[in-house]
Amino acid sequence: MFGYVRPAAHRLGEADNERFRSVYCGLCHVLGRRYGLAARFLLNFDFTLLAILLSLGEGTERCVRRCAVHPCRGCAVLRETAALDVAADRIVILAWWQLRDHIADHGFWSGLKYRLAALLLRRAYRKAKTLAASFDTAVQKHLDELALREREHCASLDAAAEPFAALLAEIASVETDETRRRILTQLFYHLGRWIYLADAADDFREDAKSGNYNPLRYRYGAEADVLPEDAKRSLAETLDASIRRMAGAYALLDAGEWAPLLDSIFYDSLFGIGRAVLDGVYHRPPRIRSGRGAEEERYERSL
Amino acid sequence: MSDPYKVLNIPPTATDDEVKHAYRQLARKYHPDNYQDNPLADLAQEKMKEINEAYEQIQRQRKIGSAAASSSDRGENGYRYGYGGSAHRAASGSPLMQRVRMAIAEGDISQAERLLNEAEEHDAEWNFLMAVVSSRRGWMDDAKRYLETACRMDPTNEEYRAAMNRFAAGGFHPEGYRGVSTMSYDSECLRYCATLAICSCCSGGRFCILPC
Repeated sequence: MFGYVRPAAHRLGEADNERFRSVYCGLCHVLGRRYGLAARFLLNFDFTLLAILLSLGEGTERCVRRCAVHPCRGCAVLRETAALDVAADRIVILAWWQLRDHIADHGFWSGLKYRLAALLLRRAYRKAKTLAASFDTAVQKHLDELALREREHCASLDAAAEPFAALLAEIASVETDETRRRILTQLFYHLGRWIYLADAADDFREDAKSGNYNPLRYRYGAEADVLPEDAKRSLAETLDASIRRMAGAYALLDAGEWAPLLDSIFYDSLFGIGRAVLDGVYHRPPRIRSGRGAEEERYERSL
Repeated sequence: MSDPYKVLNIPPTATDDEVKHAYRQLARKYHPDNYQDNPLADLAQEKMKEINEAYEQIQRQRKIGSAAASSSDRGENGYRYGYGGSAHRAASGSPLMQRVRMAIAEGDISQAERLLNEAEEHDAEWNFLMAVVSSRRGWMDDAKRYLETACRMDPTNEEYRAAMNRFAAGGFHPEGYRGVSTMSYDSECLRYCATLAICSCCSGGRFCILPC
């Protein structure tokens, strides 16, 4: 996962920003408690949003917890809920399979760090697998499809984004209520599509240099290492289309006290983040980077 | 029926204007244009029905309650949003395309896709229906391209043009939010993105997620 999504903090008051943070911290604590220290380093914003959407209607009780980062004053974290558990299990499984991918893609020496990271994560993964077996199978299936699309140099943005989008949509299957499941499936699908395409735009220059597959290159036939203006415009339109699908699905949910926070994401910040990525001015925060390099860094740090 | 004021999310003490305002906001939110070829359109339609009923009920109650009944009733001024009949029922050129339209109307998208793949001639209507099917699956870039092709092949067709206009429309945004798009997002706000990203001054940088 990549960690692009965040609320438009400038639109929100202290309370709403704290609320977002409490889920982020809550998720971190759940990861730690269930899967140990190494798993905490897998945390990112995208899953924070997923956890919020899954927890709508659940309790929002908070408590103060201390951690290595906030040893003295601690911070208010969301008490463990079923949604946080669900998100934590899925973070671990997804990270595990992404690691396996990297190991397969690299030789013995360059893949050593991934092997090491996988070793650290093995126990956590085994536990997560027993808790979310169907998601585990789905991730394998979708990541295989993704690799296939990469190999065949897929020129359709939608076909290239489908496996990752479907993978996120799969998370909605934990919902027991039929209507909510339909809504969240649609929302997560387009969140996945948006993340995948934003990430492709973000990595465009890097991929042009390294020769890695990037769907935008094949879709727009762009040879240079920057996207031409008309390609950018077309990509922006399709990113908008996904944001509007997300907003349409979100409008059908009862967001309750999360409404200001989620409004700021679906009606504002996603557009801004997309624009920043397209203009090449989006700087990912230190710990949360996308793609392969990011995983490396994250694991290196966790070691 | 549930409390109509609750449906419109206003207190029972709201003035007539406030009631109307709340109704219009919600009606804009669940407007069919925002759910074109969207698999959730039926849920939005239900919401719209609820809102329409709640508004009607409040109007009725208030009319009975006051001697000087307001004439700006929804029915009278024609302000009524609603979902029309099922979309994509327009007359088709070929029997095969007619079957595709039926499959789409029944919500059987894979059947529609199978039929479209059978077609030998890829005319404007074929492209249009491919756009509908793509859009239903969430394949928005493909949908746009098929729709563009359909409009190019048959520029005078009302149905295709209307679909194109809806595709390009801005979508709903609540009060307090401007209708933005990725391309139109202004650089003033971008600076905020940058501050957000480079912020590493508190909490040791690692867990800082908010601008400080």
